[in-house]
Amino acid sequence: MAEYVKLIDVSKCTGCRGCQLACKQWNAQPAKQTENHGTYQNPPDLQANTWTLIRFQEIEEKDGKLKWLFRKDGCMHCTDAACVKVCPSGALYVTDIGTVGLNRDLCIGCKECISACPFDIPRYDRKTDKVYKCDLCLSRIKADLIPACAKACPTGAITFGEKGKMIEKAYARAKELGGDASVYGDKFVGGTHVMYVLDEKPGVYEHLPKSPSVPLSVILWKDIMKPLSLLAAGGVIAGSFLHYIIHGPKLPDEETGQEQKGGE
Amino acid sequence: MRKGLIQATDSFERIVHWSLAVSCLILCLSGLGMMFHSLNFLGEPFGGLKSLKYIHNITALFFILALFFTVSMWWKEAGVFVFPEDLDWIKCAGGYLWHVDKVPEVGKYNPGQKMFFLVVAAGGVAMIFSGLIMLFPLHIPAMIVRLMYLIHAAGFVAIFAFFFIHLYLGTVGSPGSLPAMLTGWVSRPWLKKQHAKWLKEMEEHGTLVVYGEEKSSSHGHHG
Ligand code: SF4
Ligand code: SF4
Repeated sequence: MAEYVKLIDVSKCTGCRGCQLACKQWNAQPAKQTENHGTYQNPPDLQANTWTLIRFQEIEEKDGKLKWLFRKDGCMHCTDAACVKVCPSGALYVTDIGTVGLNRDLCIGCKECISACPFDIPRYDRKTDKVYKCDLCLSRIKADLIPACAKACPTGAITFGEKGKMIEKAYARAKELGGDASVYGDKFVGGTHVMYVLDEKPGVYEHLPKSPSVPLSVILWKDIMKPLSLLAAGGVIAGSFLHYIIHGPKLPDEETGQEQKGGE
Repeated sequence: MRKGLIQATDSFERIVHWSLAVSCLILCLSGLGMMFHSLNFLGEPFGGLKSLKYIHNITALFFILALFFTVSMWWKEAGVFVFPEDLDWIKCAGGYLWHVDKVPEVGKYNPGQKMFFLVVAAGGVAMIFSGLIMLFPLHIPAMIVRLMYLIHAAGFVAIFAFFFIHLYLGTVGSPGSLPAMLTGWVSRPWLKKQHAKWLKEMEEHGTLVVYGEEKSSSHGHHG
Protein backbone atom coordinates (compact mmCIF):
# COMPACT_ATOMS: atom_id res chain seq x y z
CA MET A 1 0.00 0.00 0.00
CA ALA A 2 1.03 3.55 -0.52
CA GLU A 3 2.52 5.47 2.38
CA TYR A 4 0.45 8.19 3.98
CA VAL A 5 1.43 11.33 5.82
CA LYS A 6 -0.37 13.67 8.16
CA LEU A 7 0.77 17.24 7.66
CA ILE A 8 0.41 19.77 10.45
CA ASP A 9 0.70 23.37 9.34
CA VAL A 10 1.25 25.14 12.66
CA SER A 11 0.84 28.53 11.01
CA LYS A 12 -2.83 27.77 10.50
CA CYS A 13 -3.47 26.43 14.00
CA THR A 14 -5.55 28.63 16.28
CA GLY A 15 -5.13 26.44 19.36
CA CYS A 16 -8.79 25.48 19.51
CA ARG A 17 -7.93 21.93 20.54
CA GLY A 18 -10.63 20.43 18.40
CA CYS A 19 -8.16 17.75 17.37
CA GLN A 20 -7.35 16.95 20.97
CA LEU A 21 -11.00 16.36 21.71
CA ALA A 22 -11.71 14.47 18.51
CA CYS A 23 -8.84 12.13 19.39
CA LYS A 24 -10.28 11.44 22.82
CA GLN A 25 -13.70 10.88 21.35
CA TRP A 26 -12.70 8.49 18.59
CA ASN A 27 -10.42 6.51 20.86
CA ALA A 28 -12.88 6.61 23.76
CA GLN A 29 -10.33 8.07 26.15
CA PRO A 30 -11.79 9.83 29.20
CA ALA A 31 -10.50 13.19 30.29
CA LYS A 32 -8.82 13.68 33.62
CA GLN A 33 -9.27 16.63 35.96
CA THR A 34 -6.16 18.78 35.74
CA GLU A 35 -4.95 21.87 37.55
CA ASN A 36 -4.28 25.27 36.11
CA HIS A 37 -0.58 25.69 35.53
CA GLY A 38 -0.79 29.30 34.50
CA THR A 39 -1.18 28.43 30.84
CA TYR A 40 -3.98 27.54 28.49
CA GLN A 41 -2.22 24.33 27.66
CA ASN A 42 -4.26 21.55 29.13
CA PRO A 43 -3.49 18.82 30.09
CA PRO A 44 0.11 19.79 30.85
CA ASP A 45 1.60 16.90 28.91
CA LEU A 46 0.78 13.84 26.85
CA GLN A 47 -0.82 11.15 28.99
CA ALA A 48 -1.75 7.53 28.71
CA ASN A 49 -5.21 8.76 27.72
CA THR A 50 -4.13 11.90 25.85
CA TRP A 51 -2.37 10.91 22.67
CA THR A 52 -2.27 14.31 21.08
CA LEU A 53 -2.01 17.70 22.64
CA ILE A 54 -1.69 21.32 21.57
CA ARG A 55 1.39 22.79 23.16
CA PHE A 56 0.96 26.47 23.97
CA GLN A 57 4.08 28.58 23.99
CA GLU A 58 4.71 32.30 24.22
CA ILE A 59 7.68 33.85 22.46
CA GLU A 60 8.77 37.43 22.05
CA GLU A 61 9.09 38.71 18.53
CA LYS A 62 11.77 41.10 17.29
CA ASP A 63 9.54 44.13 17.75
CA GLY A 64 8.91 43.12 21.35
CA LYS A 65 5.40 41.86 20.67
CA LEU A 66 4.24 38.59 22.16
CA LYS A 67 3.52 35.70 19.84
CA TRP A 68 1.67 32.53 20.63
CA LEU A 69 2.89 29.27 19.16
CA PHE A 70 0.58 26.30 18.92
CA ARG A 71 2.04 22.96 18.11
CA LYS A 72 0.08 19.73 17.96
CA ASP A 73 2.28 17.15 19.60
CA GLY A 74 1.95 13.39 19.26
CA CYS A 75 3.55 10.34 17.70
CA MET A 76 5.54 11.21 14.57
CA HIS A 77 5.21 7.73 13.06
CA CYS A 78 8.89 7.40 12.21
CA THR A 79 10.10 5.17 9.39
CA ASP A 80 13.12 4.13 11.46
CA ALA A 81 11.04 3.91 14.61
CA ALA A 82 13.18 3.42 17.71
CA CYS A 83 10.13 2.21 19.59
CA VAL A 84 9.54 -0.64 17.14
CA LYS A 85 13.20 -1.52 17.29
CA VAL A 86 13.17 -2.02 21.04
CA CYS A 87 9.68 -3.41 21.60
CA PRO A 88 10.22 -6.99 22.79
CA SER A 89 6.69 -8.20 22.22
CA GLY A 90 5.96 -6.95 18.73
CA ALA A 91 3.18 -4.77 20.15
CA LEU A 92 4.63 -1.81 18.26
CA TYR A 93 4.87 -2.48 14.55
CA VAL A 94 5.16 -0.70 11.23
CA THR A 95 1.88 -0.80 9.35
CA ASP A 96 1.65 -1.21 5.60
CA ILE A 97 0.97 2.51 5.18
CA GLY A 98 4.22 3.32 6.96
CA THR A 99 2.73 4.43 10.27
CA VAL A 100 3.53 2.82 13.63
CA GLY A 101 0.69 0.81 15.09
CA LEU A 102 0.32 -0.44 18.65
CA ASN A 103 -1.29 -3.77 19.38
CA ARG A 104 -2.17 -3.29 23.02
CA ASP A 105 -3.01 -6.93 23.62
CA LEU A 106 0.63 -7.78 23.05
CA CYS A 107 2.11 -4.94 25.14
CA ILE A 108 3.77 -6.23 28.32
CA GLY A 109 4.34 -2.81 29.85
CA CYS A 110 8.11 -3.08 29.86
CA LYS A 111 8.44 0.65 29.06
CA GLU A 112 11.37 0.07 26.73
CA CYS A 113 9.71 2.19 24.04
CA ILE A 114 9.37 5.13 26.43
CA SER A 115 13.09 5.68 26.81
CA ALA A 116 13.87 4.78 23.20
CA CYS A 117 11.52 7.25 21.49
CA PRO A 118 13.44 10.37 20.42
CA PHE A 119 10.23 12.41 20.61
CA ASP A 120 9.22 11.26 24.12
CA ILE A 121 5.80 10.04 23.02
CA PRO A 122 4.67 6.72 24.55
CA ARG A 123 2.96 6.99 27.93
CA TYR A 124 2.56 4.27 30.50
CA ASP A 125 -0.60 3.51 32.44
CA ARG A 126 -0.06 1.75 35.74
CA LYS A 127 -3.62 0.50 35.97
CA THR A 128 -3.47 -1.52 32.78
CA ASP A 129 0.32 -1.99 32.85
CA LYS A 130 0.44 -1.01 29.21
CA VAL A 131 1.72 1.78 27.03
CA TYR A 132 -0.38 4.12 24.90
CA LYS A 133 0.23 6.38 21.96
CA CYS A 134 -1.39 7.71 18.78
CA ASP A 135 -1.86 5.10 16.06
CA LEU A 136 -2.87 7.70 13.49
CA CYS A 137 -6.42 6.31 13.61
CA LEU A 138 -5.43 3.13 11.81
CA SER A 139 -8.95 1.79 12.12
CA ARG A 140 -10.33 4.89 10.38
CA ILE A 141 -7.72 4.85 7.64
CA LYS A 142 -8.51 1.21 6.95
CA ALA A 143 -12.15 2.23 6.60
CA ASP A 144 -11.15 4.91 4.13
CA LEU A 145 -11.61 7.76 6.60
CA ILE A 146 -9.03 10.37 7.49
CA PRO A 147 -7.69 10.54 11.09
CA ALA A 148 -10.14 12.04 13.58
CA CYS A 149 -7.91 15.04 14.32
CA ALA A 150 -7.61 15.94 10.64
CA LYS A 151 -11.36 15.57 10.26
CA ALA A 152 -12.07 17.83 13.20
CA CYS A 153 -9.61 20.63 12.44
CA PRO A 154 -11.67 23.67 11.44
CA THR A 155 -8.82 25.70 9.93
CA GLY A 156 -7.27 23.09 7.68
CA ALA A 157 -4.06 23.01 9.73
CA ILE A 158 -4.16 19.20 9.76
CA THR A 159 -4.37 17.41 6.44
CA PHE A 160 -3.84 13.82 5.50
CA GLY A 161 -2.85 12.24 2.22
CA GLU A 162 -0.46 10.27 0.14
CA LYS A 163 3.17 10.79 1.22
CA GLY A 164 4.69 12.29 -1.93
CA LYS A 165 1.86 14.74 -2.38
CA MET A 166 1.97 15.87 1.25
CA ILE A 167 5.72 16.50 1.09
CA GLU A 168 5.21 18.59 -2.03
CA LYS A 169 2.42 20.47 -0.36
CA ALA A 170 4.55 21.08 2.73
CA TYR A 171 7.41 22.60 0.75
CA ALA A 172 5.05 24.76 -1.27
CA ARG A 173 3.48 26.07 1.92
CA ALA A 174 6.85 26.75 3.58
CA LYS A 175 7.91 28.69 0.51
CA GLU A 176 4.68 30.63 0.57
CA LEU A 177 5.20 31.53 4.24
CA GLY A 178 8.83 32.56 3.64
CA GLY A 179 11.04 33.86 6.46
CA ASP A 180 12.01 31.17 8.97
CA ALA A 181 9.34 28.77 7.79
CA SER A 182 10.51 25.23 7.16
CA VAL A 183 9.38 21.67 6.65
CA TYR A 184 9.99 19.29 9.55
CA GLY A 185 9.95 15.51 9.35
CA ASP A 186 11.21 14.27 6.00
CA LYS A 187 14.93 14.56 6.78
CA PHE A 188 15.43 12.32 9.81
CA VAL A 189 14.58 8.89 11.26
CA GLY A 190 14.00 7.74 7.71
CA GLY A 191 11.23 10.29 7.32
CA THR A 192 8.26 10.66 9.64
CA HIS A 193 4.65 10.07 8.69
CA VAL A 194 3.56 13.09 10.66
CA MET A 195 5.17 16.24 9.30
CA TYR A 196 5.13 19.88 10.23
CA VAL A 197 5.23 23.16 8.42
CA LEU A 198 6.82 25.34 11.09
CA ASP A 199 6.80 29.11 10.76
CA GLU A 200 9.58 29.54 13.30
CA LYS A 201 12.94 27.73 13.32
CA PRO A 202 12.56 24.18 14.71
CA GLY A 203 14.75 25.03 17.73
CA VAL A 204 12.19 27.59 18.89
CA TYR A 205 9.49 25.03 19.67
CA GLU A 206 9.50 23.45 23.09
CA HIS A 207 9.72 19.65 23.27
CA LEU A 208 10.64 19.43 19.62
CA PRO A 209 14.09 17.92 19.02
CA LYS A 210 16.06 19.79 16.36
CA SER A 211 17.56 16.74 14.72
CA PRO A 212 16.04 13.61 16.22
CA SER A 213 17.60 10.23 15.56
CA VAL A 214 17.37 6.67 16.73
CA PRO A 215 19.52 6.91 19.88
CA LEU A 216 23.04 5.51 19.50
CA SER A 217 22.61 3.38 22.60
CA VAL A 218 19.56 1.75 21.04
CA ILE A 219 21.54 0.91 17.91
CA LEU A 220 24.47 -0.46 19.94
CA TRP A 221 22.09 -2.45 22.07
CA LYS A 222 19.92 -3.94 19.35
CA ASP A 223 22.34 -4.19 16.43
CA ILE A 224 25.59 -5.00 18.23
CA MET A 225 24.97 -6.46 21.70
CA LYS A 226 22.02 -8.63 20.75
CA PRO A 227 23.79 -10.60 18.01
CA LEU A 228 27.00 -10.51 20.03
CA SER A 229 25.37 -12.34 22.92
CA LEU A 230 24.57 -15.30 20.68
CA LEU A 231 27.89 -15.09 18.90
CA ALA A 232 29.86 -15.06 22.14
CA ALA A 233 27.91 -17.95 23.61
CA GLY A 234 28.20 -19.91 20.38
CA GLY A 235 31.92 -19.19 20.26
CA VAL A 236 32.36 -20.41 23.80
CA ILE A 237 30.46 -23.61 23.13
CA ALA A 238 32.45 -24.28 19.97
CA GLY A 239 35.65 -23.35 21.80
CA SER A 240 34.87 -25.73 24.65
CA PHE A 241 34.25 -28.54 22.20
CA LEU A 242 37.51 -27.84 20.37
CA HIS A 243 39.31 -27.64 23.68
CA TYR A 244 37.96 -31.03 24.63
CA ILE A 245 38.96 -32.77 21.43
CA ILE A 246 42.29 -30.99 20.91
CA HIS A 247 43.73 -30.34 24.35
CA GLY A 248 41.57 -32.69 26.32
CA PRO A 249 40.11 -32.35 29.80
CA LYS A 250 42.23 -31.76 32.83
CA LEU A 251 42.44 -35.06 34.62
CA PRO A 252 43.79 -35.78 38.05
CA ASP A 253 47.10 -37.63 38.02
CA GLU A 254 46.44 -41.20 38.87
CA GLU A 255 47.90 -42.18 42.14
CA THR A 256 49.23 -45.58 42.77
CA GLY A 257 46.72 -47.49 44.73
CA GLN A 258 43.36 -46.61 46.08
CA GLU A 259 41.85 -43.96 43.81
CA GLN A 260 42.35 -45.45 40.37
CA LYS A 261 39.31 -47.59 39.97
CA GLY A 262 36.90 -44.83 40.92
CA GLY A 263 36.99 -43.10 37.59
CA GLU A 264 35.25 -39.93 38.75
CA MET B 1 30.05 -41.39 49.90
CA ARG B 2 33.29 -43.25 49.69
CA LYS B 3 35.97 -43.52 52.28
CA GLY B 4 38.88 -41.18 51.71
CA LEU B 5 36.94 -38.43 49.97
CA ILE B 6 37.68 -34.91 51.09
CA GLN B 7 35.16 -32.23 51.85
CA ALA B 8 35.63 -29.25 49.50
CA THR B 9 32.49 -27.23 50.17
CA ASP B 10 30.00 -27.06 52.99
CA SER B 11 26.26 -27.24 52.45
CA PHE B 12 25.79 -23.49 52.84
CA GLU B 13 28.18 -22.83 49.98
CA ARG B 14 26.38 -25.32 47.79
CA ILE B 15 22.95 -23.95 48.56
CA VAL B 16 24.09 -20.41 47.79
CA HIS B 17 25.83 -21.57 44.62
CA TRP B 18 22.76 -23.34 43.29
CA SER B 19 20.42 -20.52 44.27
CA LEU B 20 22.57 -18.18 42.24
CA ALA B 21 22.90 -20.65 39.39
CA VAL B 22 19.19 -21.45 39.11
CA SER B 23 18.05 -17.83 39.43
CA CYS B 24 20.69 -16.78 36.89
CA LEU B 25 19.51 -19.46 34.48
CA ILE B 26 15.87 -18.45 34.84
CA LEU B 27 16.87 -14.81 34.32
CA CYS B 28 18.83 -15.73 31.18
CA LEU B 29 15.99 -17.75 29.71
CA SER B 30 13.21 -15.29 30.53
CA GLY B 31 15.46 -12.46 29.35
CA LEU B 32 16.13 -14.25 26.08
CA GLY B 33 12.39 -14.71 25.63
CA MET B 34 11.97 -10.95 25.77
CA MET B 35 15.12 -10.15 23.83
CA PHE B 36 14.33 -12.09 20.67
CA HIS B 37 10.93 -12.07 19.00
CA SER B 38 11.68 -15.57 17.79
CA LEU B 39 11.93 -16.68 21.43
CA ASN B 40 8.73 -14.95 22.58
CA PHE B 41 7.15 -18.40 22.69
CA LEU B 42 9.11 -19.14 25.88
CA GLY B 43 6.35 -17.20 27.60
CA GLU B 44 3.58 -19.40 26.22
CA PRO B 45 3.65 -22.08 28.94
CA PHE B 46 3.16 -19.34 31.52
CA GLY B 47 0.35 -17.54 29.75
CA GLY B 48 2.26 -15.11 27.57
CA LEU B 49 5.18 -12.76 27.41
CA LYS B 50 3.85 -10.62 30.21
CA SER B 51 4.22 -13.54 32.62
CA LEU B 52 7.80 -13.83 31.49
CA LYS B 53 8.29 -10.22 32.52
CA TYR B 54 6.95 -10.98 36.00
CA ILE B 55 9.04 -14.15 36.26
CA HIS B 56 12.11 -12.14 35.27
CA ASN B 57 11.42 -9.39 37.79
CA ILE B 58 10.59 -11.69 40.68
CA THR B 59 13.50 -14.04 40.01
CA ALA B 60 15.72 -10.96 40.10
CA LEU B 61 14.89 -10.61 43.80
CA PHE B 62 16.19 -14.12 44.48
CA PHE B 63 19.22 -13.35 42.36
CA ILE B 64 19.97 -10.24 44.41
CA LEU B 65 19.82 -12.27 47.60
CA ALA B 66 21.90 -15.12 46.20
CA LEU B 67 24.49 -12.72 44.81
CA PHE B 68 24.74 -10.99 48.15
CA PHE B 69 25.52 -14.26 49.91
CA THR B 70 27.82 -15.39 47.12
CA VAL B 71 29.94 -12.30 47.31
CA SER B 72 30.03 -12.07 51.08
CA MET B 73 30.94 -15.75 51.40
CA TRP B 74 33.56 -16.00 48.66
CA TRP B 75 35.16 -12.64 48.10
CA LYS B 76 38.00 -13.32 50.51
CA GLU B 77 38.84 -16.63 48.85
CA ALA B 78 37.95 -15.87 45.24
CA GLY B 79 38.02 -12.10 44.97
CA VAL B 80 41.65 -11.48 45.89
CA PHE B 81 44.60 -12.42 43.74
CA VAL B 82 47.75 -13.65 45.47
CA PHE B 83 51.02 -12.72 43.91
CA PRO B 84 53.24 -14.00 42.48
CA GLU B 85 51.74 -17.48 42.15
CA ASP B 86 48.49 -16.29 40.55
CA LEU B 87 50.46 -14.38 37.96
CA ASP B 88 52.56 -17.46 37.16
CA TRP B 89 49.37 -19.45 36.82
CA ILE B 90 47.89 -16.88 34.44
CA LYS B 91 51.09 -16.84 32.37
CA CYS B 92 50.69 -20.53 31.63
CA ALA B 93 46.87 -20.32 31.54
CA GLY B 94 46.74 -22.91 34.27
CA GLY B 95 47.83 -25.55 31.81
CA TYR B 96 44.39 -25.45 30.23
CA LEU B 97 45.40 -24.25 26.79
CA TRP B 98 48.79 -25.73 26.03
CA HIS B 99 51.05 -28.29 27.59
CA VAL B 100 52.70 -27.09 30.77
CA ASP B 101 55.10 -29.32 32.67
CA LYS B 102 54.46 -27.89 36.05
CA VAL B 103 51.40 -25.74 36.68
CA PRO B 104 51.88 -23.48 39.71
CA GLU B 105 50.00 -24.81 42.68
CA VAL B 106 46.92 -22.85 43.69
CA GLY B 107 44.72 -22.56 46.74
CA LYS B 108 40.98 -23.07 46.98
CA TYR B 109 40.38 -21.04 43.82
CA ASN B 110 42.64 -20.71 40.83
CA PRO B 111 43.01 -17.34 39.07
CA GLY B 112 40.61 -18.47 36.35
CA GLN B 113 37.97 -19.16 38.92
CA LYS B 114 38.77 -15.86 40.57
CA MET B 115 38.24 -14.05 37.29
CA PHE B 116 35.00 -15.89 36.84
CA PHE B 117 33.94 -14.88 40.32
CA LEU B 118 34.81 -11.26 39.65
CA VAL B 119 32.88 -11.23 36.38
CA VAL B 120 29.87 -12.75 38.09
CA ALA B 121 30.11 -10.34 41.00
CA ALA B 122 30.70 -7.18 38.94
CA GLY B 123 28.40 -8.29 36.15
CA GLY B 124 25.73 -9.26 38.63
CA VAL B 125 25.89 -5.90 40.36
CA ALA B 126 25.75 -4.14 36.98
CA MET B 127 22.73 -6.23 35.98
CA ILE B 128 20.94 -5.50 39.25
CA PHE B 129 21.66 -1.80 39.08
CA SER B 130 20.71 -1.36 35.43
CA GLY B 131 17.74 -3.69 35.84
CA LEU B 132 16.32 -1.72 38.73
CA ILE B 133 16.49 1.49 36.71
CA MET B 134 14.88 -0.27 33.75
CA LEU B 135 12.12 -1.38 36.07
CA PHE B 136 11.48 2.13 37.40
CA PRO B 137 12.46 4.40 34.52
CA LEU B 138 9.73 7.00 34.55
CA HIS B 139 11.43 9.70 36.59
CA ILE B 140 14.92 9.18 35.24
CA PRO B 141 16.23 11.00 32.16
CA ALA B 142 15.70 8.85 29.07
CA MET B 143 19.40 9.17 28.16
CA ILE B 144 20.40 7.37 31.34
CA VAL B 145 17.71 4.71 31.01
CA ARG B 146 18.89 3.95 27.47
CA LEU B 147 22.40 3.51 28.80
CA MET B 148 21.08 1.04 31.35
CA TYR B 149 19.61 -1.09 28.57
CA LEU B 150 23.01 -1.10 26.93
CA ILE B 151 24.70 -2.13 30.17
CA HIS B 152 22.10 -4.83 30.75
CA ALA B 153 22.73 -6.20 27.26
CA ALA B 154 26.52 -6.03 27.63
CA GLY B 155 26.29 -7.77 30.99
CA PHE B 156 24.25 -10.49 29.35
CA VAL B 157 26.87 -10.98 26.64
CA ALA B 158 29.50 -11.59 29.32
CA ILE B 159 27.40 -13.66 31.72
CA PHE B 160 25.84 -15.84 29.03
CA ALA B 161 29.24 -16.68 27.52
CA PHE B 162 30.80 -17.26 30.93
CA PHE B 163 27.93 -19.53 31.85
CA PHE B 164 28.97 -22.01 29.17
CA ILE B 165 32.64 -21.82 30.10
CA HIS B 166 31.69 -22.55 33.67
CA LEU B 167 29.43 -25.40 32.60
CA TYR B 168 32.20 -26.96 30.54
CA LEU B 169 34.96 -26.64 33.12
CA GLY B 170 32.69 -27.75 35.91
CA THR B 171 31.81 -30.97 34.14
CA VAL B 172 33.51 -32.71 31.22
CA GLY B 173 36.35 -30.18 30.91
CA SER B 174 37.62 -31.04 34.34
CA PRO B 175 36.35 -34.42 35.48
CA GLY B 176 36.05 -34.71 39.22
CA SER B 177 35.04 -31.08 39.71
CA LEU B 178 31.30 -31.50 39.69
CA PRO B 179 31.05 -33.41 43.00
CA ALA B 180 32.56 -30.37 44.72
CA MET B 181 29.28 -28.59 44.09
CA LEU B 182 26.95 -31.59 44.29
CA THR B 183 27.90 -33.59 47.35
CA GLY B 184 30.80 -31.44 48.39
CA TRP B 185 33.15 -34.43 48.57
CA VAL B 186 36.03 -34.67 46.11
CA SER B 187 38.76 -37.19 45.56
CA ARG B 188 42.25 -36.61 46.84
CA PRO B 189 43.95 -36.95 43.42
CA TRP B 190 41.59 -34.35 41.99
CA LEU B 191 42.25 -31.98 44.83
CA LYS B 192 45.97 -32.55 44.52
CA LYS B 193 45.88 -31.81 40.82
CA GLN B 194 43.58 -28.79 40.98
CA HIS B 195 44.22 -27.14 44.32
CA ALA B 196 47.40 -28.61 45.69
CA LYS B 197 48.22 -25.59 47.80
CA TRP B 198 44.84 -25.67 49.43
CA LEU B 199 45.22 -29.35 50.23
CA LYS B 200 48.58 -28.67 51.85
CA GLU B 201 47.16 -25.77 53.82
CA MET B 202 44.30 -27.84 55.11
CA GLU B 203 46.65 -30.60 56.08
CA GLU B 204 48.95 -28.20 57.85
CA HIS B 205 46.14 -26.46 59.70
CA GLY B 206 44.46 -29.72 60.46
CA THR B 207 41.22 -28.60 58.85
CA LEU B 208 41.07 -31.41 56.34
CA VAL B 209 37.83 -33.34 56.56
CA VAL B 210 38.19 -36.86 55.25
CA TYR B 211 35.18 -39.08 54.88
CA GLY B 212 35.22 -42.08 57.12
CA GLU B 213 38.10 -40.81 59.22
CA GLU B 214 36.73 -40.03 62.60
CA LYS B 215 39.27 -37.63 63.93
CA SER B 216 40.72 -35.05 61.61
CA SER B 217 41.29 -32.02 63.76
CA SER B 218 39.79 -29.85 66.39
CA HIS B 219 38.41 -27.40 63.78
CA GLY B 220 37.15 -30.04 61.41
CA HIS B 221 33.44 -30.65 61.14
CA HIS B 222 31.54 -33.28 59.31
CA GLY B 223 29.06 -32.23 56.71
S1 SF4 C 1 7.56 9.22 17.49
FE1 SF4 C 1 8.27 7.78 19.05
S2 SF4 C 1 6.48 6.47 19.44
FE2 SF4 C 1 6.11 7.53 17.45
S3 SF4 C 1 6.94 6.12 15.90
FE3 SF4 C 1 8.60 7.55 16.38
S4 SF4 C 1 9.76 6.44 17.99
FE4 SF4 C 1 7.75 5.45 17.87
S1 SF4 D 1 5.86 -1.08 26.82
FE1 SF4 D 1 4.61 -2.30 25.38
S2 SF4 D 1 4.71 -1.20 23.44
FE2 SF4 D 1 6.37 -0.38 24.73
S3 SF4 D 1 8.20 -1.62 24.21
FE3 SF4 D 1 7.22 -2.65 25.96
S4 SF4 D 1 5.84 -4.17 25.06
FE4 SF4 D 1 6.37 -2.72 23.40
